[in-house]
Amino acid sequence: MIKGRRVQASLNEGTVGMSLTIDGLRKRFGEVQALDRVSFQVRPGEVFGFLGANGAGKTTTMRIVLGFLRPDDGTVTWNQLPAASWPRRIWGYMPEERGLYLRMPVLDQLVYFASLYGVPRATARRDAIQWLARFRIEDYADRKAESLSKGNQQKVQYIATILHDPDVILMDEPFSGLDPVNVALLKSAFLEMCERGKTVIFSTHQLDQAEELCDSVAIIDRGRIVTTGTTREVKRSTGHQVVRVATAHDGDIRWLQSLPHVTVTRPGHDYTEVRVESGSDPQAVLRAAMSHGGDVLRFEVADPSLEEVFVTRVGALDTHERTLAAVAEAVE
Amino acid sequence: MNTITNIATVARREFEVRMRTRSFVFGTLLLVVGVLAIALLPVIVRYVDRQDATKVAVAAPADLATDPVATLNRLLNAPTAAADPQAAPDYVVTLVDNIDMGRADVINGRYAALFAIDRAADGDLSFTLYSNDTTGRSATLAWQAANSIAVADRLDRLGVAADDQAAVFAPAQFGVAWPDPSRTDPIGDTAALVGQDILAFGMSILIFMMIVMYGTWIAMSVVEEKSSRVMEVVLNAATPFQLMAGKVLGVGSVAFTQYAAVVLSGGLALMFQDAIASTVLGEGGGATLPEGLNMGMLLAFAVYGVLGFLLYACLFAAAGSLVSRQEDVNTAVMPLTLLSAAGYMIAVYASTGMLDIRAGWIVLLSLVPFLGPFMMLSRISDGAVQPWEIVVSVALLLAVLGAALWLAARIYRAGVLLYGQRPGVLAVWRMVRSGV
Repeated sequence: MIKGRRVQASLNEGTVGMSLTIDGLRKRFGEVQALDRVSFQVRPGEVFGFLGANGAGKTTTMRIVLGFLRPDDGTVTWNQLPAASWPRRIWGYMPEERGLYLRMPVLDQLVYFASLYGVPRATARRDAIQWLARFRIEDYADRKAESLSKGNQQKVQYIATILHDPDVILMDEPFSGLDPVNVALLKSAFLEMCERGKTVIFSTHQLDQAEELCDSVAIIDRGRIVTTGTTREVKRSTGHQVVRVATAHDGDIRWLQSLPHVTVTRPGHDYTEVRVESGSDPQAVLRAAMSHGGDVLRFEVADPSLEEVFVTRVGALDTHERTLAAVAEAVE
Repeated sequence: MNTITNIATVARREFEVRMRTRSFVFGTLLLVVGVLAIALLPVIVRYVDRQDATKVAVAAPADLATDPVATLNRLLNAPTAAADPQAAPDYVVTLVDNIDMGRADVINGRYAALFAIDRAADGDLSFTLYSNDTTGRSATLAWQAANSIAVADRLDRLGVAADDQAAVFAPAQFGVAWPDPSRTDPIGDTAALVGQDILAFGMSILIFMMIVMYGTWIAMSVVEEKSSRVMEVVLNAATPFQLMAGKVLGVGSVAFTQYAAVVLSGGLALMFQDAIASTVLGEGGGATLPEGLNMGMLLAFAVYGVLGFLLYACLFAAAGSLVSRQEDVNTAVMPLTLLSAAGYMIAVYASTGMLDIRAGWIVLLSLVPFLGPFMMLSRISDGAVQPWEIVVSVALLLAVLGAALWLAARIYRAGVLLYGQRPGVLAVWRMVRSGV
């Protein structure tokens, strides 16, 4: 499934300009420069991860893309036309703070949301029932939203986001607060959207989720884009490579630590992971292993994980938690 | 087209959701019952009253020329009989043998009062009312009866024949007229004048209550969408203006529905008060419109009521969008509540005569759109308003309504995404100017 998707994404690379293009966005809230020349491109049909700590500017960027906020400067275009000139129904949005009418029956509000996008009520009703069945919550169709568990409310929220069949789906932290079963359910729903040619953009600070799902990513920090591109490009952007090696003399890794331009990042019983600085040849590690450590049981060269890239470029996530409250205060 | 469809969709949801709530259904029922009770209060009071007519005992010397029981009956029951000849009498008068027995019966509660007549040594009559309640209407009526009986007794002793006495007691001719000889409009119909004042007064109260009650309701429902964070979900589908207009119209329709139920049931009860009374009490009478109520006044009430409500409602929505918690709503809408209260108070003072309704500054204020809906009704019912003044006030109201819609939509647009502390006036003005 994933392979087929990547083929499609690479085909789309040829169509220059057919994309969601965010160009030079600036936005200031009082004293806080929330966005500073934010630019990146999302190609149609790909899953795009928007990565950053809380308060880095993810939500503000999404709100500008959707036209809730006006940028001080910069433009947003979809397929070469200003984003605002496209009809509302091409956009799907799932805000970070989940919002449902708590005292309204689930099916009724799904029909309501879709009909605001111009979907006929009968069509919306039929599709909503299908989606509810697919998420195995069709029994809750006539219940008030407040009587549903949090996980089920999230499913309803997701249906509300895509029921009107949007082309571009923006989701703010879609995985937060979900249990593993629902995370898996949502992931498969994402991939299905992509197979149907939809463009999915989601923000997250869970980098492993992004690495697993995204064709492309952008990393944002304090309102600035640190790096953006395909996931592979971004992972290679530091120039480092990761080598996982295991020898018969497991446990003794002094020979590894003595190698130049090599840092042991994860010593372990099964294998040892090292970072090879840019410009150095990972094969040097293999040669060293063969000459120093006896039989080589495992040797693998890989790109660093997104998390490693993020830590290298931005620093550890938890030290950069800048809450939205600080931004909100600055607005006053 | 899209805008209208979305406004209708939002309004429809607001209407349907609210109409279905138990609090709305029971609240409306309770209001209707309350209004019916108030409107039918006179009938209810009369129904309860007729069960126990006040019993009065009379002790009198045997040589009286007139029958004291008949005289007392006629005088005590005169007010009721004048209103409705078929009505059951308020007082039942009974002759007792002597004063001591009568007094004992008043003490033990068999009679409410003893009307004792005695002949003094000089031949004139003296009267004593034995009663625990000597301050009410009964005492006044008893005193009138005493005078009447005394005069009749004196005339009798002077030898005036019974027929001549009837002529003596015939009521005098009495009328009222305008001091200004050029005035030709009818005078002296106090009931109609009072009725008109009360009508304008009542309509002002109705408009004021509608604006404050349902305006606050709109603000609450905006805050509810903000605090449940559903605002961002719908904001992707519809523009802030569509959401606001739909909400105002949706909640407005609920308001009008509830209002119509209350006003119609109250109005019908008033109109058919006599008919209901005749059924319940077995009296005659048909349906009558309240004094002063005519098509022009009703039309003015509808136009000023709807326009005034819309003007305030969109501003209430904007005020609600500026706060994120239910407990802050009342503070946010306070300026609007005060403004409408000012218009209502001036209108009430003017229509009850505490302010001169024809004074220049009242006329000027009545053209101000935020005050006009209340004050114009008083002025129209007073009858001294020129047609052009109505045209100007409605035109101004429409113009300001347009401006208010624009302003409210800008505030709403900025406000709905604003969480945290309530912004000050300056911050709001900046948001309106920048459009965020």
